[in-house]
Amino acid sequence: MIDRWLSRAWDAITSLKLTIVLLALLMVLVVGCTLAQVEMGTFGAVKAFMRSFFVWWAVPGTGWEIAILPGGALVGLVLAVNLLAAQGRRLELSWKKSGLWIAHAGLILLIAGEFVSAVFQIDTRMAIEEGQTVNYVESPREMELVVKDVTDPRYDDVYGVSESLLSRGGTIPVPGTPLSLRVKAYLQNADLRMRGPQDPPGPATMGVGTGVLLAPLPPVTSDDDINRSAALVEPVAGGQSYGTWLVSNALGAPQSFIHEGRTYVLSMRSRRIYLPYSLTLKKFSHDVYAGTDIPKNFSSLVHLSNRSTGEERDVLIYMNQPLRYDGKTFYQASFGKGDTLSILQVVQNPGWLLPYVACALVTLGLVVHFAITMRRGPRRGAVLEA
Amino acid sequence: MRAGMSWRAALVALAGALIASSQGCRREEVAHARLPKEQALPDAGAPGAGPMGGGPMAGGPMAGDVPAPPRPSGAGALKWSLPRGWTETGGSGMRYATLKPPVEGRIDVSVVVLPGMAGGELANVNRWRGQIGLPALDEAGLASARKEVATRAGKVSLYDFESGGQSRTRMIAGLLETADGNTWFLKMVGDAGVVAASRSNFLRLLETLHLD
Repeated sequence: MIDRWLSRAWDAITSLKLTIVLLALLMVLVVGCTLAQVEMGTFGAVKAFMRSFFVWWAVPGTGWEIAILPGGALVGLVLAVNLLAAQGRRLELSWKKSGLWIAHAGLILLIAGEFVSAVFQIDTRMAIEEGQTVNYVESPREMELVVKDVTDPRYDDVYGVSESLLSRGGTIPVPGTPLSLRVKAYLQNADLRMRGPQDPPGPATMGVGTGVLLAPLPPVTSDDDINRSAALVEPVAGGQSYGTWLVSNALGAPQSFIHEGRTYVLSMRSRRIYLPYSLTLKKFSHDVYAGTDIPKNFSSLVHLSNRSTGEERDVLIYMNQPLRYDGKTFYQASFGKGDTLSILQVVQNPGWLLPYVACALVTLGLVVHFAITMRRGPRRGAVLEA
Repeated sequence: MRAGMSWRAALVALAGALIASSQGCRREEVAHARLPKEQALPDAGAPGAGPMGGGPMAGGPMAGDVPAPPRPSGAGALKWSLPRGWTETGGSGMRYATLKPPVEGRIDVSVVVLPGMAGGELANVNRWRGQIGLPALDEAGLASARKEVATRAGKVSLYDFESGGQSRTRMIAGLLETADGNTWFLKMVGDAGVVAASRSNFLRLLETLHLD
């Protein structure tokens, strides 16, 4: 009985009809994802359609969500399993089929590469002004609560509490300091507004947040928007509470308190990853075609300085000519502030070579298969003539 | 059939590993970095820097507007007279008021009020300069950049900055500390030409500030 069910399942998973259905689903997802980018932005659409196991639809007015399609992650996973299984079942392990084996391996590697990218790729950016030296990249879609000890006149100790820790709540000790943060609330995106005379007191008891009211908002999805994250935290040190502070990237005013002679500044910002090297923007160029405002070229002349390796060199980053360094790729992505600010997109993807290798394998496999078929063709003809 | 069974086991393990790894890559630590003072610059990547083709004002509201306390009322509320053609919308979000000059082009005039010194004049002026790509000032530079406008509500410290680059951005901003301990910020920012066209009216508006 079990063998019969397993046999049926095996037939299903190795079915070429399943392959066709999955490829058709991928096409539907690609079209849906492309159209959804108008409303959701590239990042939001890719996340909703391609990097999820199901595509969800919010039923209007109910608060319910139902899955309307398998997502790209599920389709890709099943397709990979289907290709592997079908290959194992149908393709004989022989030299004459070697081209097909290689081409199938390329296809599977292509899908695996997308999984590696989805899981391991880190998208960040570096905003750098002319004359400024920057040794960190930022993740604009992730926030961190920063506690900065600014007491020492020579340096600042910066402690970044990740968004996931804030979401979990509870008490978070700040290592290297006597401080703990009691997280009373964390809103990934929030509406902040001034408290009117008739409004109830705000949740914060200290700092500029005392006059601000909070309301949760759904996280932004568009590429051009950024969440206004807000946390209500109570710093505690040595059994002493320093009140409840509202910390948000929508708040510009500095907020600080003093514990045992040390000054701590609280802020919310995009998550930063510090690098063992730095880039200095020497010049940003925004060239236009003569007599028009039509952009011709954007480029950033940066100086790369790595004290640990002694590396000192200038690099010109321009459209389609990124800097690849230390496993990261720095692309020219944007600019601002009267052409004095350059924004580089920084991508770290350990699987960036996989699509290239996969395409090479598919090409090689088809060439090999074609060559073998060509070789067998004349022989078969000779046999027939004999 | 045996071969099929082993294939299946391997594939199930592969799928499980992929799903588990996707759940396992969460950064949950408290990160620490010790930075020299000069590297502790204001956030350059704050909202407001637009995508390629955008400028400093692309991508939504002006970056760095500070929040306000409960809207002051009665004697604590700053009042002004609008120049001819200007319009005013009430406070929304973190703003006390938004003003609109009768000109075309990129321009934004905001009024924000904060309790106390709101981080101090130097910090706020340098934050503004950072928003249009200018380097920070020291106390001496602040003093030489400051102009004063006498009003019935008190002396307004006035700053006028213009960025470099092809599409120049100009910012004219005034700070006023009132007797009740609040600091008022009146800021006009936009394309240099558009701001220049509205400068005299903005200064006239500042001169009309009063509390009674």
